[in-house]
Amino acid sequence: MSLSSSVLQTVSHLLTPHEREAVLGDLAELGANNWRSTAEVLDLYFRHRIAHWKSWRPWLAAFGLAIPSSLTLMGLSVSIAQSGQHWINENVLNGARLTVGPGLALLLSNIVLLIAWSFTGAFVMGSVSRRTVRISVTLSFVPCAFCLARFRIESLSRLCLLLFMIPAAWGLAHGLRFAHIRLRSAIFLAAIITVLTIPAWTSKGAWLPNWALSWPAWYLVATAARGTRSLKDHHPWQTN
Amino acid sequence: MIGEFEYVLLTAAATLGDDAYGAAIREQIESTTGRRCSIGALYTTIDRLESKSMLATWMGEATAERGGRAKRMVRLTPQGVRAAKDFYNAIMRVSRKASWAVEHRKEVV
Repeated sequence: MSLSSSVLQTVSHLLTPHEREAVLGDLAELGANNWRSTAEVLDLYFRHRIAHWKSWRPWLAAFGLAIPSSLTLMGLSVSIAQSGQHWINENVLNGARLTVGPGLALLLSNIVLLIAWSFTGAFVMGSVSRRTVRISVTLSFVPCAFCLARFRIESLSRLCLLLFMIPAAWGLAHGLRFAHIRLRSAIFLAAIITVLTIPAWTSKGAWLPNWALSWPAWYLVATAARGTRSLKDHHPWQTN
Repeated sequence: MIGEFEYVLLTAAATLGDDAYGAAIREQIESTTGRRCSIGALYTTIDRLESKSMLATWMGEATAERGGRAKRMVRLTPQGVRAAKDFYNAIMRVSRKASWAVEHRKEVV
């Protein structure tokens, strides 16, 4: 097999099997040589990619979720890691009695928020634009790479910046599989997030990142409600 | 309303009838318009028209000249016919008093 033929075969795998079959057949019938065919296949592939971005959905996933959420959640991840380290030093390593005070309550509240925000944000990112999810994920790593390179806290590992990635990966996997979650679960998540962010409502400046991270939970409620309504329209005998 | 290239593609597919598939449509477009038509432009437009239910496509027979690969056959749906008719009528109405349309009518007469 010649080089040009190998390149064409490799590049053609960017297309779906049916499309590959039809396009390679057409190019053979039209008598295009391998390099010309490769250029035509690449042209088709990039036109498909660009066509996805004509919708608002990939833009929302990439620039409304991936970048701002990863940036904000990294800050919360570091804050949790620092608070956790402080609490362990105070209560465990110093041998003092374990006390459940406001510090621990705040730490637990932040952990729950980190999990809920990361899960809902990544779920919406995955469900809103499945075809561009690789680009969204790559973009979410851009602030991470920037912060990892500039991390200067001696007592903490750099990896604590990425604590949010675990629930986010979980949410993304679910978002890619399902268009929406059950209404009750969505309301539960949105309610938890809203209740836990109430203390921050009075502090100046904190409302913006809070709402930037909280809207996906309410978006999930809206999509779940719509999904439930359409299910009832199609199957009126089902109540849930 | 559909776009110019969508109309050209629908018309080429309608002209070819049962023989409408990628390579044949491309040749028809290039020979009638004198413009180059890339496979990328052709297939993305076919996909778009199919998603608008103006075209139906299915995999057809394979031939030796295609290296044993199947054709993607194309057929206009009633919606596609209506959309092409609407486009044609709009172009005819808008061109009625244009100098080139008047000249063309005189030539035909």
